[in-house]
Amino acid sequence: MTPDRAATEDGPILRLIERLQWAQVRIAALALAAMMLVTVADVFMRYVFNSPVRGSYEIVEATLVVFVFHGMAAGFFRRANIVIDLVDTFAGRRITALLIRFSDLLSIVALAVLAWAMTGPAWQAYDYGDRKLELDMPIYYLWIVALIGIAGTLVCALGVLFARAATPRERGH
Amino acid sequence: MSPPFIGLTGVIALFVLLFARVPVWASLALVGFFGNVALSGWPAAFAIAGTTPFDVGSSYTLSVIPLFVLMGEVASETRLSSDLFAAARVILSGVRGGLAVATIAASACFGAVCGSSVATAATMTRIALPEMRKAGYDDGLATGSLAAGGSLGILIPPSIILVIYASIAEQSVPKLFAASLFPGLLLTALYILVATAVVRLWPDHAPGLIKTSVAEKFAALAGPWQFLLLFVVTIGGIYAGVFSPTEAAAIGAFGAILIGVLGRRIGWTELMKAVEGSVITSCLLFVIIIGANLFSFFMVQTHLPAMLADAARTANLPDLVVMALIIVAYVVMGCFLEGIGMVLITVPVFLPIVTGYGYDPMWFAIIVVIVVEVGLIHPPVGMNLFVIQAQAPETKITSIYRGILPFLIAPLILVVLLFVFPQLALWFPKILYG
Repeated sequence: MTPDRAATEDGPILRLIERLQWAQVRIAALALAAMMLVTVADVFMRYVFNSPVRGSYEIVEATLVVFVFHGMAAGFFRRANIVIDLVDTFAGRRITALLIRFSDLLSIVALAVLAWAMTGPAWQAYDYGDRKLELDMPIYYLWIVALIGIAGTLVCALGVLFARAATPRERGH
Repeated sequence: MSPPFIGLTGVIALFVLLFARVPVWASLALVGFFGNVALSGWPAAFAIAGTTPFDVGSSYTLSVIPLFVLMGEVASETRLSSDLFAAARVILSGVRGGLAVATIAASACFGAVCGSSVATAATMTRIALPEMRKAGYDDGLATGSLAAGGSLGILIPPSIILVIYASIAEQSVPKLFAASLFPGLLLTALYILVATAVVRLWPDHAPGLIKTSVAEKFAALAGPWQFLLLFVVTIGGIYAGVFSPTEAAAIGAFGAILIGVLGRRIGWTELMKAVEGSVITSCLLFVIIIGANLFSFFMVQTHLPAMLADAARTANLPDLVVMALIIVAYVVMGCFLEGIGMVLITVPVFLPIVTGYGYDPMWFAIIVVIVVEVGLIHPPVGMNLFVIQAQAPETKITSIYRGILPFLIAPLILVVLLFVFPQLALWFPKILYG
């Protein structure tokens, strides 16, 4: 899981964004590992010592928030989102490049709409002071994590739009 | 504008965006969001768009996705597939066309753990195709069995596509995993029957016969013990009610890593590659689910599915005709759409119609997955066919097309069987969960 050589040959902005998405993938990977280990420990403790890990269900939910909202940055940075590329077979290179830019733009619009819309319920979670039952953790913490993750994803998507050539899928996954 | 008309406009806009190369998730999210604006106004649309990503991203039920994907990615890195194929070829030696049959059997087993049709087809091609060529097998038979076998992974549990169907159709994941087991095994048997029939009709397609002793066959059974352990613990654990799907997936992922590390089959680099792959693959699925949830909410508000169901009933269309039309629609869409996207786009529209005609949503899930499988292998655009050609570029695509044609009969037979005997899918969940 090292920064991609191809990307480090790009301009300084893209290099910075490459580092950002790399950091976000690492955060997501750690969340995935935590999710797996907590669940395994919970099962083990439950069946062997009859003493399950307290709040394991909520830990999984919380780590999933970290995983999803930070992990998605890599997909946007690599233009790896699933597309129907049927048009590539009959459209010329210029039209394909235009369509790629168009879809980059619409992805950013969709991301921005979601990010903006999420601030409302995030404020509500802060105002109401809702907490996780077993962990006694304020739920707005998770909203903050989610908003930071989606903001990072938005930066990655913007970087791709402005700093990366419009070619079909730079890197597979 | 009436809600159904707005719904229809939304569906048309969705397809326009999809064919304009806009990512599936963004197409679904934008149509869903602006559709909700048209129906309920900006404040309501923003409220839905604000809560949906968080609801999806913190759903315990969906945590099964990254964990099963991790299990599959690790299994792909640990050369489990070569153990499975080696065991299957010894066990099936002496059978004419045994290598093709072994390929299908090993693909079904590996696909069950891996969960990805494309990964199964790619991995098994690298392992089995050279062996079949060495034995003088016809390229069409070899690649046909690889493509067909590779598609089994999405039907045999654990299946990511079924988890996603469960989330969108509000079904139980363990029940769907139970419903898919026997149709998955039956489809494996049907593919094997097709391979055997091809060899019987054209004996020169599979000339070589490998001979091994009974003792060697018994010894080979112990070869892929890691696979058996993973499958029995994860899926057996779910069926027995010992683990929830998330727990089974976590144990499966942890077990796959343990098997890989203790058996020195996987190093740090491979492990990190598997984790990174899991992060990217899973999060791509999550953004699609977020978009699909927005679209699904919009569809429900439009009453379009209910209107379509009413129209079909008013026109006195028999249920079989409606189901046949839906299946044809899936096969046609399979030419253009990727499987999971197809499920997420279509299930909110088709499921109310199907249940309106009295069909069980669990049964429909199995039908949908089988039809998605057909989409993976039918010429000229089946993804598995291109994956195989990418792994073996010297193979002509026309040979692959010719090779897969007889195998297409198998899923069609299974669909007919499921219509005649729906209990093929429904009896096992009933026995397990009542």
